[in-house]
Amino acid sequence: MSKDMKFLVVDDYSTMRRIVKNLLHDLGYANVTEADDGKTALPLLQNGSFDFLITDWNMPGMPGLDLLKAVRANDKLKKLPVLMLTAEAKREQIVEAAQAGVSGYVIKPFTAVTLKEKIDKILGTMAA
Amino acid sequence: MSENALRAVDRLPIDPTNGPQLLEQLQDLTLNLRSALDRFRLDSRLTRLAEKEVPDARERLNHVLKLTDQAAHRTLDLVEKSCPQADRIAKEAGSLNEPWSRFRAGTISVADYCDLIGRVDKFLVSAQVDSESVRANLNEVLMAQDFQDLTGQIIRGVVTLVTEVEVVLIDLAKLSGASGIDMSPTAEELARGTGPVVPGVEQGAATVNEQADIDALLSDLGM
Repeated sequence: MSKDMKFLVVDDYSTMRRIVKNLLHDLGYANVTEADDGKTALPLLQNGSFDFLITDWNMPGMPGLDLLKAVRANDKLKKLPVLMLTAEAKREQIVEAAQAGVSGYVIKPFTAVTLKEKIDKILGTMAA
Repeated sequence: MSENALRAVDRLPIDPTNGPQLLEQLQDLTLNLRSALDRFRLDSRLTRLAEKEVPDARERLNHVLKLTDQAAHRTLDLVEKSCPQADRIAKEAGSLNEPWSRFRAGTISVADYCDLIGRVDKFLVSAQVDSESVRANLNEVLMAQDFQDLTGQIIRGVVTLVTEVEVVLIDLAKLSGASGIDMSPTAEELARGTGPVVPGVEQGAATVNEQADIDALLSDLGM
């Protein structure tokens, strides 16, 4: 996968968006856009050509799970890799995210290594 | 005063044979008075909490949000400023390695030697400037952590208040006779998200502790 890939990072906390953006830059992904919840992310996804979505779960407006379902229900977006980056840690939530078609799930607090591993794994699965 | 009055009423020297009705009425009056006083005490505590202390606590917590947000952004600014400076030092030092090795081995040409001297001169200056700047940024990162002292004090105050509210609510629950309410999160709450796991706090549903548990669960689900 190319390092020119376009990422969308969705989190209601601007500090978390900056952290993820910095980590992505360190991994060589310089093309990163931010959104603060599902409602602002969805039009960006529909109108842009994003290659990867990283989203929080618990956000005002539209939560990450609803955003994931909206992405999977959209013909243009349904194959977009979606990594959930969240503090939500209940088993039934993780199962629900998996059933909704999440590509990967990282629990907060997380490390740079975990984020890299999950992104690489998702991209590896896509390339296979 | 009111407790004393109640005790005095309880101790009234009434002869039951002479005034059974009066005794009954007085006992009723005592009970009513006691429960009215209990309610009044609860009411005044509730009023004070609702009108003053809970709104104050909300403002205090908003201030905590602001302070932590500012500190996090200040730290991120400094990290973003420092990273290119550290990268520059590493990159230039790395690029000097190869000609420097040739110089040490005595195999460097005169032209490359002159070039190397010029680059080392520049590097010594730029490395000093960059590393001093990184050091200053690290000092500022250190100072950006001073929020914890202030927010810690504010949060401790709010914890004390929450404890008091808890006592009042328990009293209210006792008055209303409510008990045995299911505390598990609803499906809707789970879908919106219920926030991070907090040690010692009952989550009302099975939770996973770390990334490895999630990976195992997803693997069980075929992912």
